[in-house]
Amino acid sequence: MIAEIQAGPRVPEAAPNILEVRNLRKSFGVHEVLKNINFAMRKGEVVAVIGPSGSGKSTLLRCLNQLEPASGGEITIDGLTIRADHQLRRAELMGLRRKAGMVFQSFNLFPHLSVLRNISLPQERVLGRSRAEAEKRAHALLERVGLADKASQYPARCSGGQQQRIAIARALALDPQVMLFDEPTSALDPEVGLEVLAVMKELAEGGMTMVVVTHEMHFAETVSDRVLLMADGHILEEGPSAEVMRNPKSERAQRFLKAVMNR
Amino acid sequence: MSDILSFWGTYLPQILDGLGISLKVTGASLAIGIPAGLALALMVQAKSRFLRWFCLAVVEIGRGAPALILLQFAYFGLPNVGVSLTSFAAAVAALSWSTAAYTSEIIRAGLQAVPRGQIEASDALGLSFADQLRFVLVPQGLRVAAPALLGFAVLMLQASSLAFTIALPELLSQAYIIGTTTFRYMPILCLAGLLYACICIPATLLVGWFERRLARHA
Amino acid sequence: MSWDFAILILSGLPWTIVVTIGAFAMGLILGAPLCAMHISRNPILHFLALAIIIFLRSIPPIVWVFLLFFGLGSGFISIGAIPATIIALGVVTAANMAEIYRGSLSSIHAGQWEAISALGLPPVSSFKDIILPQLFRVTLPSAASYLIGLFKDSAIASTVGVMDIAFLANFVARKSFDGLTPFAFAAVLYILISIPIALVARIADARLRQKVAQ
Repeated sequence: MIAEIQAGPRVPEAAPNILEVRNLRKSFGVHEVLKNINFAMRKGEVVAVIGPSGSGKSTLLRCLNQLEPASGGEITIDGLTIRADHQLRRAELMGLRRKAGMVFQSFNLFPHLSVLRNISLPQERVLGRSRAEAEKRAHALLERVGLADKASQYPARCSGGQQQRIAIARALALDPQVMLFDEPTSALDPEVGLEVLAVMKELAEGGMTMVVVTHEMHFAETVSDRVLLMADGHILEEGPSAEVMRNPKSERAQRFLKAVMNR
Repeated sequence: MSDILSFWGTYLPQILDGLGISLKVTGASLAIGIPAGLALALMVQAKSRFLRWFCLAVVEIGRGAPALILLQFAYFGLPNVGVSLTSFAAAVAALSWSTAAYTSEIIRAGLQAVPRGQIEASDALGLSFADQLRFVLVPQGLRVAAPALLGFAVLMLQASSLAFTIALPELLSQAYIIGTTTFRYMPILCLAGLLYACICIPATLLVGWFERRLARHA
Repeated sequence: MSWDFAILILSGLPWTIVVTIGAFAMGLILGAPLCAMHISRNPILHFLALAIIIFLRSIPPIVWVFLLFFGLGSGFISIGAIPATIIALGVVTAANMAEIYRGSLSSIHAGQWEAISALGLPPVSSFKDIILPQLFRVTLPSAASYLIGLFKDSAIASTVGVMDIAFLANFVARKSFDGLTPFAFAAVLYILISIPIALVARIADARLRQKVAQ
């Protein structure tokens, strides 16, 4: 029974789509960074977005929660659809961001707030939780990422890896439907990155839907269910992780994977 | 020398009264002016063109006109439109205006120094614009602006001496009055100068310390 | 307020300019040795300069004016209102200019000093040909904004009877029993004159920037 689950796809085929991207385009001036992107994710799926720098993968992620407003197409997250050709209402934007939690390359913790306050304040302001409730949740999450003893510290007193785990806890505290990771380990030393990846792996195993823009090929191959390989604003290849990474079809994808795997 | 000391001793209470008024005027002007400066710094970026131009005018007049002229305008000018202020109120009004104008620029620079990632993070968390200002931008911006604001407070204490011209009995006025009655301007003005220095020198050193500390933590 | 009064206030402009330029020139010149002392390796010179700079900056300019005019004037050396104001504002300016010079010197990239020593340039030539032009460029914006501040501070001269813009505005206000218009007019005058100074400084700065960038 256990062997069967491990062999087959981790996420049941019948699971509903929680995220759909249709004909997504994004331009900065005349420069088109995303050219007609289409993909969908089922609940609980983990998708790694890989590709050379400048391929548009970070922009894609930032379009998903509208940190970058899309130039065309539409995005549906958990039943809420945002269309680029419609004026976005404030409530829709807030709704979208509540459904999507985001983790940045540079952590972006609030330096003037304690670790606990970093996690509890957004819960109070965005979800209207009471302070006691928010702090209880924050403590539980800190426990989960292995940083229970850091609650009263300030971010500057924590290492990069610890800060990133706190940032993950901060995003999780708002009970997002999807977690977006924008190169979460790129600013960290490789061994420090591992502690962050371990937290992410645990999160994936817990059933969280995750989109991870990453350079960590090992993570992409072993943790994610699917890989999107992007180049020049297109999705070049898409499919189960092992398939895309071991047997890339296009010459461009082969070239990229050969370069990163040999490092 | 002992002659000067006994002269200082005689008039010290009167001089200290003056210093008290100088500090009160400065404190009141900062207490009104800095929040107003924060408001101006935020409103200068407002969407309404009218509001933007209005704030710009308030800032540019407050910074462009000499404080001396603002003081006299408030004290001698406002009665013409039916607003008669005491010299204390006029001094606070004029110096608050000046403070608001200068500190709005200092605070604006502080707000702009807050890293973009902070705004993105609070956007991604779904904080409302008001919450973003209140919990993320303003506290961090003010922290960056703190040394410059303290430096400005020192200049404001010095500027309060200009209220001499509107007969406010502050430190310089008291020294001047004692000078005219005793004809011993030199020692009494020296005492006044020393008192200003006693406050401004430690404050200036504190600003330097503050700046170095902030630079280390940045 | 009639046009005559406006012209009367305007006639204070020359004295305002004399006080401003006089004090600024004095500060530009005296600021240099003060800065040199401050950055000197000799601890006595360094601390002496530090003490002078802090002291000059910590006492309000108007108090320095009074010290020279009333203080020295009462039985020491008689000194006119205009020289008293120029000297008082001039020494305060010197202290501030010394700090501006020091800031400019430290902003010149360490690589420049290393390049000079590596090239083995003689000290005089390296200062004149390499450091000075860069120094001038970085000093210009802060010196210009200080000049604008000084221009407004020159109104202090009116308190010891120099017939500048502020003095005549006060005079007209008393004469015409109208406090509003003369001071508003004077304020506008100060603002209007500040604008071209800022403009010239900005243009000069942009030109120099372009030169360096090429």
